[in-house]
Amino acid sequence: MLCENCKMREATIKYVEVINGVKSEHNLCTHCASRLDIGQYSALFEGEFPLAELIAGIFGKTDSDRSRDQYAQVVCPTCGTTYEEFMKNSRFGCADCYSVFDPLIGDNIRRLQGSESHVGKRPAGHRITENGEGAQAAAEKADRQQSEKDAELPVAERIELLQSRIKGAVQREEYEEAAVLRDELKKLKEETGQNG
Amino acid sequence: MDRWYEAPGQPGSNVVYSRIRLVRNWKEYPFPSRMTKEQDSELTARLCESFKGIGPADGTKYRFAYLDRMTDLEKTSLVERRVLNRGIVKKQGTSGLILSEDESVGVIINGEDHIRIQVCDTGLKTTECYERAERIDDFIDSRIEYAFDRKYGYLTSYPTNVGTGLRVSVVLHLPLLSTWKNFNSLTADMGRFGTSIRGLYGEGGENFGALYRISNQKTLGQTEREIVDLVTKTAAELDQKEQNLRSDAGRRRSLARLDEVYKSYGVLKYARRLTRKDAMNLLSQIMAGINDGMIETKEPCSVFGLVLGIQPANLLRMAKKPLDKDELDAARADFLRERLPEIR
Ligand SMILES: [Zn+2]
Ligand SMILES: [Zn+2]
Repeated sequence: MLCENCKMREATIKYVEVINGVKSEHNLCTHCASRLDIGQYSALFEGEFPLAELIAGIFGKTDSDRSRDQYAQVVCPTCGTTYEEFMKNSRFGCADCYSVFDPLIGDNIRRLQGSESHVGKRPAGHRITENGEGAQAAAEKADRQQSEKDAELPVAERIELLQSRIKGAVQREEYEEAAVLRDELKKLKEETGQNG
Repeated sequence: MDRWYEAPGQPGSNVVYSRIRLVRNWKEYPFPSRMTKEQDSELTARLCESFKGIGPADGTKYRFAYLDRMTDLEKTSLVERRVLNRGIVKKQGTSGLILSEDESVGVIINGEDHIRIQVCDTGLKTTECYERAERIDDFIDSRIEYAFDRKYGYLTSYPTNVGTGLRVSVVLHLPLLSTWKNFNSLTADMGRFGTSIRGLYGEGGENFGALYRISNQKTLGQTEREIVDLVTKTAAELDQKEQNLRSDAGRRRSLARLDEVYKSYGVLKYARRLTRKDAMNLLSQIMAGINDGMIETKEPCSVFGLVLGIQPANLLRMAKKPLDKDELDAARADFLRERLPEIR
């Protein structure tokens, strides 16, 4: 069984907690178990809203120290929430925090929620408008513009970008996406004679 | 007017009630944890203004109250009645509560998020409750602009609510299933499929009254319909499993069960002092007894209504004076003696 925290290593520690007579079982690897206060960790799955620091335990301690120092500087310009504060409370200060901290915590939200994109209801203002350009269409357009922008980058940077995306996809266990990116990288290298 | 939880349970069903919770935020303001005092009162006033007209719109009478002007006891008693979540009791700054007369619909303004819509009803009525919550959501959506992101959906203070902002819960009475040898592996399986279960009442490792709440773990990446269906289906399965065990037990040891139910009734009806634990466990016997047709009250009886009634803040509120532990246990016994209907 895989560790339910990192989903990378074999779970070797089984942790059982009983709350109001309901037993819940958690399987963790030694690495994650040693880094998490498991008594708190188990509460992640309890209750209506898990207490802030419980998630912070997960959010905070899976990053390497190096990247944590680097991220500590990030501040939301709208509300002033710092990355450190988010780690402490697992709570955002405003709507903009999501986009500000997305590069840092996107993977963690994905791990927590098992998904990274909303497919449910949308507010009236975000539904498809009369001229046909709804939010979805706008989003696709933005994605297209992004890849066009990427195409303008120097080859070396494009290769680097693809490599980091592959790494990200593998970490997220999105092997299909990783394979597509790998083929793209191969093609790019062939086209530009940067093989090997 | 009767409160929603005063409606008697449905015979043959172990589902006590269903609850829908939707959280939303207003794009114009930071989330509550980052708001100034001025913003707290401004947002609360503006949102309450926006909610005016909700009563006529959904044909229900609502009343409004400032939570920051309530006593801790009043708030705790609303927590016991499931109107408020525990986190809001200690909140500083202006916040409001819009509550329907029967307490089935409650909107908390400026709690952990700007708007928290909750709809409760007895029995397995997740879809009906969701539809009602959605109508309130649409009503507000036409008046203010929500904080929404095309990737993350409805944005919330805590990333555990982001996306749909939807938590669907069903509370079940599972006296036999919860003592079944495979109960723990059953709940572990449920976790793998995306629902979580917890005891509703208890202390430490001990459960009082065999009431369990199941709800969705995740709020992102599934549609509202899928989340409602997942929880509803899981609840229906647990209900069926409990029912099967109960019919078996009824066949095998019917006299023993009948005896247990009547003895429980006797204690509840005549005791002069009852701890919360004892009262909850005895009421659990009555709940099962009524459900299985072993005991019949002269008037319809909501056992869950009694469970809510015997919680400490409610008893203290009714006593209108401080009570020590013995006095509280006596007040609990008095409450039950008075409220438990006669049996046929
Ligand atoms: Zn691990
Ligand atoms: Zn912010």
